[in-house]
Amino acid sequence: MAKNGEGRRAHILLDAFDPGTNGVRKVQISHRRMQAVAKRGIVQASECAFIVPAILLHPEAVFEGIRWDEDEDKHEGGAGWQCYCGIPPNSYRTDGSAAPPYDDEVYLVFINSERIAYNWRWEKCDPDDPRLPKGHVERFKRRIK
Amino acid sequence: MSSSDFAAEMLQLAQEAPAFQPSAIYDPDGDCIEFIAKPDSFYGERIDDLVTVYYSHESKEIVGSLIKSVSKFYREVLQRVPGFKIEIHDGRVRLVHIFRARLWTSDLGPEDVVTVTYQKLLRVAEDTNVEAELACA
Repeated sequence: MAKNGEGRRAHILLDAFDPGTNGVRKVQISHRRMQAVAKRGIVQASECAFIVPAILLHPEAVFEGIRWDEDEDKHEGGAGWQCYCGIPPNSYRTDGSAAPPYDDEVYLVFINSERIAYNWRWEKCDPDDPRLPKGHVERFKRRIK
Repeated sequence: MSSSDFAAEMLQLAQEAPAFQPSAIYDPDGDCIEFIAKPDSFYGERIDDLVTVYYSHESKEIVGSLIKSVSKFYREVLQRVPGFKIEIHDGRVRLVHIFRARLWTSDLGPEDVVTVTYQKLLRVAEDTNVEAELACA
């Protein structure tokens, strides 16, 4: 693993789909966040361990410009803030066991303009396209994959 | 780092971690506070431009939330409710005060579904009594 910097702000680099080239680029995850997630139990740890890298590398869709989500950088019009979306092969139950993904949900990984993945979670899917998140048309400025 | 190395490191961290405790942690990378009340698997539902509520897959109860754009929220609250400052001690604030500040500066009625959800979230925050860092304070 590559660690970018040391101490409190150290980040780990993971491979992610590059919507600009259809190749692979690096996305960072802070070690501090990994430690925080580790304290939340085996479900959260398993999602971070297995689902986040899978969605980053094999997203069904990537959206850019998080619109009415206040995650965006208003001064840049949300440029560079992206949301990777997909349906992972597994979900994880409270006892840590793997199970099929949830029927009506997708998994989202949010990255900021510095390509740091800072949040991830299950969300309800679009009823008209279960591969995409509910409200994606209103939430994002454009789909780039 | 390969995905398998990353997974191994993440699971190792989880093995070494102390027992679960409710937490509210500010993340400067997203300028957000993530509140986790229970170690359940959850899904998120946005209720407005500030908060995404986390619901347990198993119980469907509220088990946490994400408060976004914390710096902007803090600036706006101080403009409308300057007394909010007195709830901040050494850069930390009880999470209930953040939700209460949002409710008190909202134009929504008490019966509105968003208001009702905030009230539920407020009760969960009260039960856990967690504090969050306000890095911008």
